[in-house]
Amino acid sequence: MHEEITLGGFGGQGVLFIGRLLAEAAFREGHEVVCMPSYGAEKRGGTVWCDVTVSEEAIGALFITRPTAVVAMNPASLSKLEAAIKPGGQLVVNRSLVPDKVKRADICTIYVPANDMAAELGDDSVSNMVILGSLLAVCPVVAASSITAVMGELLAGKQERLALNEKALGAGYDWTKKNLASPESKSKEGAHVQ
Amino acid sequence: MRLETPEFDTVLYHRPESLEDYPLHLCPGCGHGIVHRLIAEVVDELGIRERAVCVASIGCMVNSYHYFKFDGLESAHGRAPAVATAIKRCHPHLVPFTYQGDGDLAAIGTAEIVHACARGENFTTIFVNNAIYGMTGGQMAPTTLLGMYSTSTTGGREPARSGYPIRVCEMLSALDGPAYIARESVHKPSAVRKAKQAIKLAFRTQLAGLGMSLVEVLSPCPVNWRLEPVDAMKWLAEHMLPQYPLGEYKVIEAVAALKKETDHA
Amino acid sequence: MTEKTLMAGNIAIAEGAILAGCQAYFGYPITPQNEILEHLSKRMPGDGRVFLQTESELAAINMVYGAAAAGCRAMTSTSSPGFSLEQEGISYMAGAELPAVIVNVMRGGPGLGNIGGAQGDYFQSTRGGGHGDYRLINLAPASVQEMMDFTMLAFELADKYRNPVVVLADGFLGQVMEPIVRRPPVTELPDKPWAITGARGRAKNVINSFEMNPADFPPRVRLLFQKYEAICQNEVRFESLELSDATLVIVAYGSVSRSAVTAVKMARREGIPVGLFRPTTVYPFPYKALTELARHADNFLVAELSFGQLIDDVRLAVGHDKRVALVNRYGGVPLHADEILAAIKEMISQPVGR
Repeated sequence: MHEEITLGGFGGQGVLFIGRLLAEAAFREGHEVVCMPSYGAEKRGGTVWCDVTVSEEAIGALFITRPTAVVAMNPASLSKLEAAIKPGGQLVVNRSLVPDKVKRADICTIYVPANDMAAELGDDSVSNMVILGSLLAVCPVVAASSITAVMGELLAGKQERLALNEKALGAGYDWTKKNLASPESKSKEGAHVQ
Repeated sequence: MRLETPEFDTVLYHRPESLEDYPLHLCPGCGHGIVHRLIAEVVDELGIRERAVCVASIGCMVNSYHYFKFDGLESAHGRAPAVATAIKRCHPHLVPFTYQGDGDLAAIGTAEIVHACARGENFTTIFVNNAIYGMTGGQMAPTTLLGMYSTSTTGGREPARSGYPIRVCEMLSALDGPAYIARESVHKPSAVRKAKQAIKLAFRTQLAGLGMSLVEVLSPCPVNWRLEPVDAMKWLAEHMLPQYPLGEYKVIEAVAALKKETDHA
Repeated sequence: MTEKTLMAGNIAIAEGAILAGCQAYFGYPITPQNEILEHLSKRMPGDGRVFLQTESELAAINMVYGAAAAGCRAMTSTSSPGFSLEQEGISYMAGAELPAVIVNVMRGGPGLGNIGGAQGDYFQSTRGGGHGDYRLINLAPASVQEMMDFTMLAFELADKYRNPVVVLADGFLGQVMEPIVRRPPVTELPDKPWAITGARGRAKNVINSFEMNPADFPPRVRLLFQKYEAICQNEVRFESLELSDATLVIVAYGSVSRSAVTAVKMARREGIPVGLFRPTTVYPFPYKALTELARHADNFLVAELSFGQLIDDVRLAVGHDKRVALVNRYGGVPLHADEILAAIKEMISQPVGR
């Protein structure tokens, strides 16, 4: 296995957190991991990135230029990353905040209403967990249970938050599996699920 | 050439144990020698020679560590309070003091002394103010008086061009950290005796772990003031004392209690 | 002790300092290395060690000077603008022969630059950096594991040679997370009879870099350079990757060398015989090993995050009859593997002799 996953979104959307979860989970499953977060002077509002490389071999470059999978939580990350994705790669778009449609047909794109689904669960701020669940459904780089285990440690003592996060993760995962399975949502080149 | 020491029955005045027999590099009539001696006497009297550390600075007293018979080190211009901070924090049983001039403490090292005071570091600073840059040849210091001649204010210090002299004790005593701040002088024997008392109280403040202690000592620089030594002493009394009044500027209660112990004893 | 943890580079430096027995840390916040200061603010005091957030990098380096003079293992960490401020204190430490560790997590410059990773402080760090004649040992990590290991090594070398040692990292290495093995802690620290510990039962100790008489100073400088000669003999370190048949050698250190590793893989996949020479000490620089390589390889591609500083050392090593080219980014942005690959292809497509 060798996956290069780039996550992008507004600062404050929890992009770096899900990058960290992904990296920790992959690490605990015994893979080689490099997790390169972007960092800026701004704390909230600017676009942030997180590159997570997961491999069976020692990893060279810290940065990802041709991702095998991308999560776009906001419009800026989609416009920046769409062209870079490797043919046949996966793209998960946050439909709640990204109105644009993907032009590339040689990748598999899923449009997840992450913020809406999070709001339905009672907290808009877990949209990152919804979208992580969705990513795992199309790019099973780690088991969802590994993510849950890591969260259990990182959020130790915050039971309510942990439960909500787990619910959101599951919701994103299930929604994506269900929608992927419906035949009318697939195009010739790849799945375009909306 | 060394003079033969005549033999006396009783030695009334001798070199303190903490002072080395080392050639002084200071000019005739300079006050630094007096201040060095006072420190050495205090260190002897408190019995702390084996714990004392001289953190020298840059200026005429650059060689201080050679004059004292205890551990000592150089520090970069203005940075002595940072160096002393580290030494005290690493080895709390040591008794470091900084020996700084007016350029070192009140110009280039302003940040370091202010923050050492603000943190309430538990070391002692001896700040010698002679209102001029001595070692570099008599330029304006942050404490140079208005109207005073220096090689960089040849028409006398003018506030419009060169600003105003800094009153260090007044400024630092506004901070919460310091435990003891006083200004003394060495321009006459009675003043020297009071200066020694202040220096001793400063060291005792440190030994009691009460926080930052600082004694400013007004001191003559006859060469750069272009005066004879005796005239320099008179000039100090006449011109510096009004600008820099002597006295205690900060004495926290615990230090006042320490001082009382002495008065009773 | 082989259990791994996932750790960020800056945290690995902080933990490396703890493991190496660092007794005193002084620092001033500056991005992209704040995590070192924050982490040590939690780790040091509980352990009976000294931690202090200072009013400036000037204060920080002079506190390191004081702690080092007092015989403690002492460290500060900073990033480029702060490293400039610290040059005065570092020069004093070199002059007074004090062991200390200075971590520079480099960022874009000159001036305020930006907070991205960069390597523009190479000249400053490898040539001394402050005033006067001196050198600093410079260790250049390229992974989170090396951030920990080289920090520990830095303390060891500093004490061995009584000289400041720089861990020359960059912002990208500071932020990246990788799995690392935690090393066993250093349990025995060297004796320092020269230190300022109070003149109890011994003659007084004096630490300085000053001689009143100018004629007394040259011997001190000579002694320093005898020491640096020994350092150049004993402490040169580098790593080689796929060099045995390489006709083109990439030379790179730090985070950019990681892009170079990937570029080597990509080039090899296309049948281009490329290798990587990675100095892990940039002072002392591995001139001899590189000169040796130049007997077999004709093309040297220097990949660095500056406008061309490492390249000067490469030219010194390989001589003027070899082709030396530069592929670089500067001012705080990364250099990617595909960009290095493109430079490799361009270099080998040009006829020899230009």
